[in-house]
Parts: sequence; structure tokens; C-alpha cells
Amino acid sequence: MSEDAPTPGEESGSTSPQIGIDEWVKRSGERIAGPGGVFGGAVRVAGRTPRILLLAVFIGFACVLPLLTSNGYVIGVDADTLLYVLLAIGLNVAVGWAGLLDLGYIVYYGFGAYLYAELSSAHYNLHWPTWQSVPVVVAFTVLLGFVLALPSRRLRGDYLAIVTLFFLQMFNNFTTNGYTLDWFGAPTESGLTGGPTGINNVDPFRVFGHALTNSPTDYVWAAAAGITVVAILFTFVNRSRTGRAWRALREDPLAAEAMGIPVKWLMLLAVAVGAGVAGYAGAVNGAYYQGVFPDTFMFPLLITIYAMVILGGAGSLGGVIFGAVTVNVLLEVLRTPAHARWIFYAALLIGLLAKLRPWRVLAAVLGGLVAFGVAANQIAGAISAKAVAGPIAVGPTAYTKHGFFATLVRHWMILPGGTYTNADYKPGNYAFVATIALVLALTLVKGWKRWALLVPTLWLAAFAWETDLVNQAPTVRPLFLGVILIVLMVMRPAGLFGQSRVEVV
Amino acid sequence: MAAATPILELRGLNVAFGGLKAVDGLDMHIEEKEIVSLIGPNGAGKTTVLNLITGVATPDSGDILLGGESVLGLAPHKINQKGIARTFQSLRLFLNMTVKENVMAAQYGHTRATIVEQMLQLPRARREEREINAFAEEKLGFFGERLMGYRWNQPAYSLSYANRRRLEIARATATRPRLLLLDEPAAGMNPVETHEIAELIGKLRDEGGYTILLIEHDMHVVETISDRVVALDHGVKIAEGTFEQVATDPRVVEAYLGTKAAATK
Amino acid sequence: MSTVLAFDFYNWHFFFAELINGLTTGSLYALIALGYTMVYGVLKLLNFAHGDVYMIGAFIGYFVLNAMGWPLKPIMPLVPLLLVAFAAAMLGCAALGVTIERFAYRPLRNAPRIAPLISALGVSFFLQQTAVLLWQANPRSYATYSFHNAELYHPVGWSNFRFSYIQLLIILSTVVLMLALSFFVWKTRTGKAMRAVSVDPEAASMMGIDVDRVIMVTFLLGSALAGAAGVMTGIAFQTIGPYMGFGAGLKAFTAAVVGGIGNIGGAVLGGLLIGVAETFIVGYVTSGFSDLVLYSVLVLFMLFRSTGIRGVAVIQKV
Repeated sequence: MSEDAPTPGEESGSTSPQIGIDEWVKRSGERIAGPGGVFGGAVRVAGRTPRILLLAVFIGFACVLPLLTSNGYVIGVDADTLLYVLLAIGLNVAVGWAGLLDLGYIVYYGFGAYLYAELSSAHYNLHWPTWQSVPVVVAFTVLLGFVLALPSRRLRGDYLAIVTLFFLQMFNNFTTNGYTLDWFGAPTESGLTGGPTGINNVDPFRVFGHALTNSPTDYVWAAAAGITVVAILFTFVNRSRTGRAWRALREDPLAAEAMGIPVKWLMLLAVAVGAGVAGYAGAVNGAYYQGVFPDTFMFPLLITIYAMVILGGAGSLGGVIFGAVTVNVLLEVLRTPAHARWIFYAALLIGLLAKLRPWRVLAAVLGGLVAFGVAANQIAGAISAKAVAGPIAVGPTAYTKHGFFATLVRHWMILPGGTYTNADYKPGNYAFVATIALVLALTLVKGWKRWALLVPTLWLAAFAWETDLVNQAPTVRPLFLGVILIVLMVMRPAGLFGQSRVEVV
Repeated sequence: MAAATPILELRGLNVAFGGLKAVDGLDMHIEEKEIVSLIGPNGAGKTTVLNLITGVATPDSGDILLGGESVLGLAPHKINQKGIARTFQSLRLFLNMTVKENVMAAQYGHTRATIVEQMLQLPRARREEREINAFAEEKLGFFGERLMGYRWNQPAYSLSYANRRRLEIARATATRPRLLLLDEPAAGMNPVETHEIAELIGKLRDEGGYTILLIEHDMHVVETISDRVVALDHGVKIAEGTFEQVATDPRVVEAYLGTKAAATK
Repeated sequence: MSTVLAFDFYNWHFFFAELINGLTTGSLYALIALGYTMVYGVLKLLNFAHGDVYMIGAFIGYFVLNAMGWPLKPIMPLVPLLLVAFAAAMLGCAALGVTIERFAYRPLRNAPRIAPLISALGVSFFLQQTAVLLWQANPRSYATYSFHNAELYHPVGWSNFRFSYIQLLIILSTVVLMLALSFFVWKTRTGKAMRAVSVDPEAASMMGIDVDRVIMVTFLLGSALAGAAGVMTGIAFQTIGPYMGFGAGLKAFTAAVVGGIGNIGGAVLGGLLIGVAETFIVGYVTSGFSDLVLYSVLVLFMLFRSTGIRGVAVIQKV
């Protein structure tokens, strides 16, 4: 993205007509490539704003939102998003700061949720008050973090990743089958963990004698309080000796150790500190949903949180908060076909407008796209009327057949009638695979060939979308997470807000 | 010279990788405030000796004494905290951290604030932070203008090669060692910079008060600053003494130039 | 994984049956582990997506069998039919593996160490969810057992020592494929180049070795073996599904580590060991918590033999 570098004219501003080498080096920070365009501008503005102000604005907005709307769904999304933010901040310690690929992170979240459920529910009839159970949960999760991180003393990198993934599998196995264990006098029918149905009737938080039963609004505040505290404490740690030592460890463990930094201890510390945050988030989760279920704490959730951390930029606190909010909101939007459709076309259009230059190419591609679609529609219609007779509306959400947008799409798209059922050989499947192939091919060709290829690719993507994907939200959402991870790693490993890192010079 | 305990003593150090004897029965000692150069052809085991001293590798047999106390089997960071710091031949800076952060990170072992104190920014954490900040600036100031001013806040990867070498030395000295191990500090430098490094090493000893063990290929540097030179070949010590003694030793000449050259000399 | 034989409990008959079952499962792990060990050896990359390539292979086999009229109206006898399914799965997976490498890993050759791992995680998840999208989440049956060929699945042998032809076939094919791979790596030019790249890619490229091509071949071979393993899983255990690759991938990678990364015989040995261990844990120790016990054992393996039973500790240059 070198086009973002200031032009020479800008650089030799009026105050310093001659720039010596030192001056040039001094200003190198300004020339480091950042994201371009409107987004880049936003990043730069955000970069100049004091962090604490950004945090206050974010937390303030999240907390005020439940007061502005009575829409329970929106408030629920708000609470979920804040929980994800909390989780992302916790994961960022090990992954972003210390550079450890900890794939067992969900274990701490699940452990926190289950421990809270054991202590504050009818399961053991303990009903500990919140001010007792939450500190105990956090303390024990930190302890578990230390214990599970012990292997990291011997293992680095990929091996650590695989072993921590083992822990995740073990935890799933334990919670799902734990109903057979009657430890500590657990009820015989549900056992220690309640098995596949989990533990129900978990107590809500009780703060100062007030029970937070008015979920989700109350849990927006519980999570927001957690985020505020954790973000501030972590900012301080990041600026202090431990944060520096973590970064040193991420950069070069061997050199760090030779400089007197107890690398192994710091690895434990990074995992354990993040685990504590996950433990708190787990307790909030248990209280919020008034139950814990083993299916929550599995691999897809891990991928979700990784996508959040990676998208925002591992290592940047503001970045991971942004990532968590963005990913979760997008996932929610994808859940409803009506919204998802708008997002899909809007994203395509914005992408084209932002990336295609000069305008002649943009006009040609857009025009080509319209012409291609209409031509395909006409040809298919001429061959068989059935090929374009399909409904624009599929699935549970009914669309009007005559809406403006529907009319546009029906004249642009081939919509085969009656083929949207879940069959192996449905056209959407072929279109999806072909779209992936075309997208990959797009990255290989340059110049006019790319523009020419873009037209059928986009049309095919829209075809796959209309005939299949729009209605498959439960699968498209995780698919989208996988795409985030791959595309970001290939295009911009530092994430949107992370500092681009230099590996070997 | 009083028979004080040497600052570093290696006794019968042995290590083999696979079948290859990298260091073979090495005895060596370094006195307080001495500059000792370790020379030898490529693959003679010089860097291995450094790795053994700093705990990166463990010897098969033998002992390493720092001020009369064995440091054998200690973790590298413990050995560093006992007073041995090193630089790396292949430069291992924390590239994506700023210049000053590199030096401040190296003082981890000299700060005590717990993570809770850091989270809450309690007085001890703040005081230590101020102290290591000042200490880092002092250590960077050792190199004149080279690593001063705006450079403090630049990422280490933006430095020139020579400045990276300087920063590695600054980072090593920030761990407050008694003994500095420099692994080819002049490698890849031009003659002017090499000359400067040689002066700097002398200054490190005279003003900084460090004892220095130096691995160096540039014989000019070795000649200028060494009090004593130890020559290694195939892990065996083949000569020891002043630069002249070692440089004229037939076994050293043979090691560097081959048997024939040694015979014709 | 489900077993095909019916047992008495706690006797030699049971023991041998479990052993053979374990070796069968282990053979499949071994085939997958070969891909892991080769890729890790050459690229030092834990290719998380490899388990999912294996899953895709199983599905390709399934669709090829279906397309040829299996199980009701097969257009050719079983043996050529299976060979076609194998060929299709291996080719398809090879293409898939090469594509993954080209688009998800190659751009990251010089990225931070953690980047390709995360990309691999993304590819794994992407493939898994693509399979759910295309073929739904519920498992499918190969139905090679229920029609026509039950005799292949019936135990034969002597007294307590009994096995089925299918099990024998799988174990033997694994050995054959391993030998073929060993031959390739040790005797051919590309194999030698592969070994050179695994030691030092930079030096190898300076010696005129086309590193990109070698890495491509590595992915091609590894993925083809995974495809074969996928079809074998379908034949041996009948059930396949989009989530089958995840656990199998984890175990197979551990097998590669246990056997010593980069070591072909070691990977097979590790695969067999883990397969037998898993079957014995299910058979003798616990079925509910078998994953818990197995993964605990694997954690210990990783901790104390991270250089593997046949691996050599690599000297790191400082």
C-alpha cells in the first residue's frame, strides 16, 4: 500500500526546506504503510485520539444502547458482543502480546462458566452469592491457566498449539460425559456436569442485594464493567516490565532468556492472566443465560474469537475490541436472510467502489455485470421458462415477489424453479465451488483479464448466494469466519489496527 | 597480580553434538577487568563456548565457575542475572520493539514489581519504571549520538546494521553484567566502524568496568584491544597468551592456513 | 470409531480383535500422519487443514461410488469400482492440497511464524463448513458392507486370531503406500530435493532446487495419501461426515510427532501405536471418557518425546 506514503512535495513542508538523513529517518514512522482509503483515515484519526477516550465512547455507547431501545434482540446482541470483547481481550494477552498460539483458550471460558454454575445454582444447592462465587471462579481459572500452561514450558509454537487443542477436546469430552460422575455428592441423574444438557437454573448475578434477572440489559453492564476494568489494568501491564517482557518473548524467546527474562514463567503468566478474563466472562455467560451447555465451549467458538482478535489486529487492545464488535455484529446480520442479502450486495458494491480504479474500469465492470446478468437471464429464459421461474424468496423469511429489489434480481439472475431443497446436486453447490475457483483464479491474473474475470465471478457469487447461501445462515456464518482468517493472514497478517511487523531484515 | 578468583573459569568443558566434538576438554579463565579474545577458524567451537557459558547449551562434562561459583545447569536467564550478558553473532534484537524498549526489556531481572502492582500502577512499579527508563537512557548514551534522541522511539528494525550491533551491546550492558560476551561485534562492519567498535570495547572496560570475552575474526581488533588471546581449533585450545605469542604459534598458523603453509613458514 | 466385529469380553479373542481393529484405525492415522510429517518436515508448518482434506477425500469416494450406481446398481464389479473411487479421491485431494498450499500458505512463506498456522486453522474450518454447506452435517454411509459384500467384513482366521479381509486390505495398503513413499523420498530426484529443502530451504534454492515445486509435490503426495485414507475410512467404518477430519487430524499429527517429524517409517509406527492405544482405551478402560484418556496420553507423548521415538534432536544454531 505504498501509495499512501506522502508525496515528496508534502514531506518537504515549508518549515524544513532541507531534510537531512536524520530528519528523514525520524519521520519514517509517517511513511510506514497503513491501511488506505476511508478506513485508513479513520484509523489515523483513531490513532490520534487518546485511548481512554475511545474506550469511554465505546463503553458509553454499549451501556446506553439498552436505554435507547426496547428491542430485546438488539440488547441481547449488545450483551453478547461485550462478552466477546471480554474474551478477545483475554485471548489477546497470550496470542497478541506473548505470541503464544493458545488453542485451549475456550477451556478457561467453559471452566469459568461451569464453576460458576456449580457454585451458584440449584445443582449442588450451593447458591453462593456473586461476590463470593465470581472471585473464586476467577481465581480458580487463573490457577487452571497456570496448570494447563505448564506444557508450554517445554513446547513452543505448533506443538503448544496442538497440545492446547488436546485440552479443548478433553474438556469437551469431560463436560459432555461428566453426567456419569457423582463427585462431591452430585445429583445422580445429572452428575457433575449435567452431560449434554448442561446445568440449568443457574443463579443470576446478585449485586448489592439486587438480582440481575433483567437480562440482557443488566449483563450488558456486568460485561461493560469487566471490560473497563480489564482494559485499563491490561493497558498498564502492557506498558510495564511484564508487557515488555512478553513482547520480547514474542520477538525472540532465546534472546529474551539470554537477557535475563524468565521466559517460561512469563508464558505461564500470559496464559493465566488471559484465563482469568475468560473465567470472568464464563461466569457472566452462566449467569446471563442462567445455564451452561457443553456445546457452547467448542472449536467453532475458538475460531470465532480468533477471527475477532486477528481481524482487529492481535497485540492491539483497541484493535481486538474493534474486531470483536465487527465480527459479532456481522455474524448477527448474517443470521437473518433479509439483512444478510443487503449486507452481501452492499459489501460487493462498496468493495468495487473502493478498489476499482480508474473510474473507467469501475464503470466497465459494473456495466458488464448488469449486461452479463441480463443476458444470462434472457438466454436461460429463452431455453426454458422454468429456469427463471424460481422464487426470489427462499426459506423461512417470505419476500414479496414484486418488490423493487426482487424485480431487479429476477431480471438479472437465473433462478431455477424448485431446486432450493437440500440436495447434493443442487445448482447452488456447483456455483459455490465455481465461485471459489474463480476467486482464486482472480488472484493469479492481472490487468484487463482480472477485470474481465471479475464480472462472471461476481455474478456467480450472487447466483450461489441467491440460490443457496442466503438461506444457510448456520453454515455461512462459520464459513465467513474461516474466510476472515485466511484472507487476513494472506493480505494483512497484522490485522486492521495492528502494527505491521518486520520479521527478518 | 593477586591470586584472586578469576571472574570466569571453565574447567575441562566437553560437549558433543551427535558424534562431533564441538568443545573438547577446554580449560580457560578470565580475570577481573580483562579483555580476552577467543579466536579460531570457522567451526572451531567459539560460539558453542559462548552457548555453554550462557546456558543455551549444556556441557556433557566439565564445570563453569562464575566468581568461584558454579553456574552449571542454571537456566539462561538465571545465568544472566548472575552477571553474564552476551550479544549474538547473528543479531537477535527485539526488532519490533523500540530502541529504548529493547534496553528496558533487558532490565527485567532488576525489577521486582509484581503483575498486580503493575496493573494498579502502585508506587514501586512506577518508581522502578522511572529507574529503568533513566538507566536505559544512560546505557544508550554510552554510544555518543548514535542511539540518542529521536532514535529512542524508533523500532529496532529501522536501525542501520552497525547501530543494531551497538544496540545489542547496549541491551547486554543493561542487564548489569560483570562479564560481557561479545560474539563477533565487528562482523559485517566497514573499516571505520570496525575501528570504532574496537575503541568502544576498550571504553566498555575502562569506563564501564566490564570484563569482556570477545569472539572476533578481525585480527586488527583482536590485536588492538586484547589483553590475552585464546585460540581454538576443533574445540581444543591450541594456544594462549598475548596476541604476538598466539599469532606466531605454529599450531595457530596451521589451523588457519593449513599444514603446508605452516611447514613453509 | 465403531467396530465391525462382535466380541466376547476379556479374553484372547477379544484382545486380538481389538488389536486388529486398532491396527486398522492406526493405518488410517498413519496415512494421514504421512502428510503431516512430510509437510512439517519441508515447510515446518502444522497443516491443520490436512485432516479436512482427508474428510473431503472420503466424500469424493462416496460420490464416485454413488455416481457409478453403488450400492443398488453398480456398473462394474467391486474391485475396479473401489480402484476408481481411490483414484478419484487421491487425485481430487492432491489438487485440493496443492490449491491450499498455493493460495493459503505460499503468500505467507516469510510472514511471522504464527501467521500460516492461523491461516491453516482458517482453511481447516473453511473446508469443514464448506462440506456442511454442500453435503449437510449428518453422517453418510458408504454402504459397501450392507449390500453384496458382507463376506469381506466377516472375520476369518485361526482360533482366537481373527480378522476380516477389509482390515487386512487396509493394513497392507498402508504398508505398500508407505514403502512407495519411502522409495520416492529416498531414491528419486524430487525426493532428494525434498530432503534437501527440509534441511535448509534457502541453501537448497541456491543449489538450483525449485523450492516452490518441491513444496507443491509434498502437498500433492501428502494430500493424495489423505484422500486414500478417506476412502479407506468409508470402506472400513462405513460412516463419514464433515466433522470426521478434525479429531483424526489431531491424532494423526500426534502420530507424526511421536514417530519423529519428517520420518516416514516413524509416522506409520506412531499412527499404528495411537490407533491401537485408542482402541484399547475404548475396549478396556473407558468408552465415555476415551477421548479424555487418549488425549492425556497424547499430551504426555508430546511433552516427553517431542522429538519422537525415531526422531533426532535438531541442533538449533544460535
